[in-house]
Amino acid sequence: MSASNTPSPTILESTNVAKFYDTGTSEHSSKSKRFQYLPPWTTPYVIGVGGPSGSGKTSVAAKIVSSLNVPWTVLISLDNFYKPLDAEQRKRAFRNDYDFDHPSAIDLNLAYEAILNLKSGKKTTIPVYSFVEHNRIPNKNITIYGASIIVLEGIYTLYDRRLLDLMDLKIYVDADLDVCLARRLSRDIVYRGRDLDGCLEQWERFVKPNAERYLKPKMKDADAIVPSLTDNGVAVELIINHIKSKLQQKSEKHLKELIELGHSDLVNIVEHPSLHELIPTNQVKALITMLLNKMISRYDFVFYFDRIATILLTQVLSDIPVYEKCTIETPEGITVPNSLKCDFNQITAINLIESGDCFMHSLKKTIPNIVTGKLLVQSDSTTGEPQLHFELLPPRIANYNMVLLTEAQMISGASMLMSIQVLLDHGVKLEHIKVVVFLATEISVRRILNAFDGEVDIYVGKLVTKDELNKCDWAKARFVGAKYFGW
Amino acid sequence: MSTEPFKNVHLLNQSNQLVGLYTIIRDKNTSRPDFIFYSDRIIRLLVEEGLNHLPVEPLTVRTHTDKPFDGVSFMGKICGVSIIRAGESMEEGLRDCCRSVRIGKILIQRDEETAKPKLFFEKLPEDIAQRYVFLLDPMLATGGSAIMATDVLIKRGVKPERIYFLNLICSKEGIDKYHAAFPDVKIVTGAIDRGLDENRYLIPGLGDFGDRYYCL
Repeated sequence: MSASNTPSPTILESTNVAKFYDTGTSEHSSKSKRFQYLPPWTTPYVIGVGGPSGSGKTSVAAKIVSSLNVPWTVLISLDNFYKPLDAEQRKRAFRNDYDFDHPSAIDLNLAYEAILNLKSGKKTTIPVYSFVEHNRIPNKNITIYGASIIVLEGIYTLYDRRLLDLMDLKIYVDADLDVCLARRLSRDIVYRGRDLDGCLEQWERFVKPNAERYLKPKMKDADAIVPSLTDNGVAVELIINHIKSKLQQKSEKHLKELIELGHSDLVNIVEHPSLHELIPTNQVKALITMLLNKMISRYDFVFYFDRIATILLTQVLSDIPVYEKCTIETPEGITVPNSLKCDFNQITAINLIESGDCFMHSLKKTIPNIVTGKLLVQSDSTTGEPQLHFELLPPRIANYNMVLLTEAQMISGASMLMSIQVLLDHGVKLEHIKVVVFLATEISVRRILNAFDGEVDIYVGKLVTKDELNKCDWAKARFVGAKYFGW
Repeated sequence: MSTEPFKNVHLLNQSNQLVGLYTIIRDKNTSRPDFIFYSDRIIRLLVEEGLNHLPVEPLTVRTHTDKPFDGVSFMGKICGVSIIRAGESMEEGLRDCCRSVRIGKILIQRDEETAKPKLFFEKLPEDIAQRYVFLLDPMLATGGSAIMATDVLIKRGVKPERIYFLNLICSKEGIDKYHAAFPDVKIVTGAIDRGLDENRYLIPGLGDFGDRYYCL
């Protein structure tokens, strides 16, 4: 999927005059928040698929995932949450004498916490379980972040009340237990190399009684009961259509919020203390003129972009926090008390793909060993909804005291909004985030100021105000990255 | 007595960053690679500030979307003139902003007999009289060699108000002495130190800039 060259008109237009947006719960703010931005993954759509062993849950879940064809869909098996066994339990497990089909075999608390974390948009790691070792695989985890759909699949998915409460859709895959046994036997014997007697014994001792005792009663909590796979095509299709329409509503709501974020009664954002536009000195004006000139060669464009980027970074760094006050001595032996020390290694830069990389040269010229990361947020070509595709962030990112988010142009501001949210989800403090952009529209700046209470500093080379936007329609077209890299 | 506040002296904004950069280059424990890197960063800021003073004229360009943009472009030509050897350390910073800029060279050494500066060598662009000139020398201590170099420029027809003298550290008495000779030359600097010691070194200064940049 490639970013379109023209901005999505739905996001840029601001015809809606609603100023107040009901933020719902705002647990962490004592002051009343007028606006709030919730990226799509803050409220992922959670689908639970439960049912007895051998009923065809996995097939149903897989079919849902493949039919939705949304890249931010995560399929999580409840099997990952099997409790690690102690030595004694492990011996029994190897003798087929351990009840894996009892709800208590699964760490439902951990599963609940993981889904709760994901549901609130946080980066979450889940364990990986080895059926060979009957233990969690040490140092091996699955990290999940930025999912917009989560499919949780497993026998006891619909067992825990707390998990049920987190789900938007609960599906029970039902099959006659005899059918389940038949499927289970062929699977275990053919694919898992078990012997018939062991399988039958397990079925009689554990699987069947547990299913009747703990599972069947849970059917009443399901939103939909799907028959076993062979004849469930229509049922699954109905469910998929339902999910699609829910997702559509969600993305429409999200886009509406984005539009509302562009409104504000902030009369003059140019004077907002968090917005730092480069002072239009002769230099800056001349550089911008050259960069806006369509006829400029790529050779010159790269050179002059690097120059203005360096000026912009200098401006950002002028506010670098003082690391300590110290006394130094010059080579002549003269002491200089109260010298300010700044630590340039306390800064990291995250480049937004596609055009944040334009800042790489100037960043390295300014801080040679700077630690950098990357983020890819793109607007969905059909809905216009921004989505997180890729994140590669430096380890311990929350420890830096300046995290620069660089992008050549900010048009709707949607991807920058999401990127800021990604940093917040990784524990970066709002006041440590610095947005660094060469060209920005007023609406994009407003969105960021509104969404984060004006607490994120925004550094722009040139701001194009709402009134100028018609005359300066180049600010709505992405051209900087293309010209810089020669796409 | 110093003539503060100085006229025609442009001191860079004393931000945390700038003061932090000076802390690094003044510190005797700073390694040579760091000294070079952080000096270069200050030099870049000096060059950018100097360029800001050059005049511009209106220019309308056609943008990506074919809408016109009313901007500006620089008027006139520039060149650099570095005082050998320490001044040459500032050439790269100038080239980083102005590719293939012409750079003249002036070598001035102290005459051992008279203890006065003596001009050993000069090579300047032929049309220097028509150009804005960035005179490059990292330290303005007594002003002796800077005054002699400026004299060379003016004798070649450069107008004093078109000369920008870029340096990293000035002494107050150096500024006064230099401006007594050339009041119209603009000095662009990042730090004004309190004075000179008995050996005519800047206090606190940073040692011998050329030695630290090129050899030590």
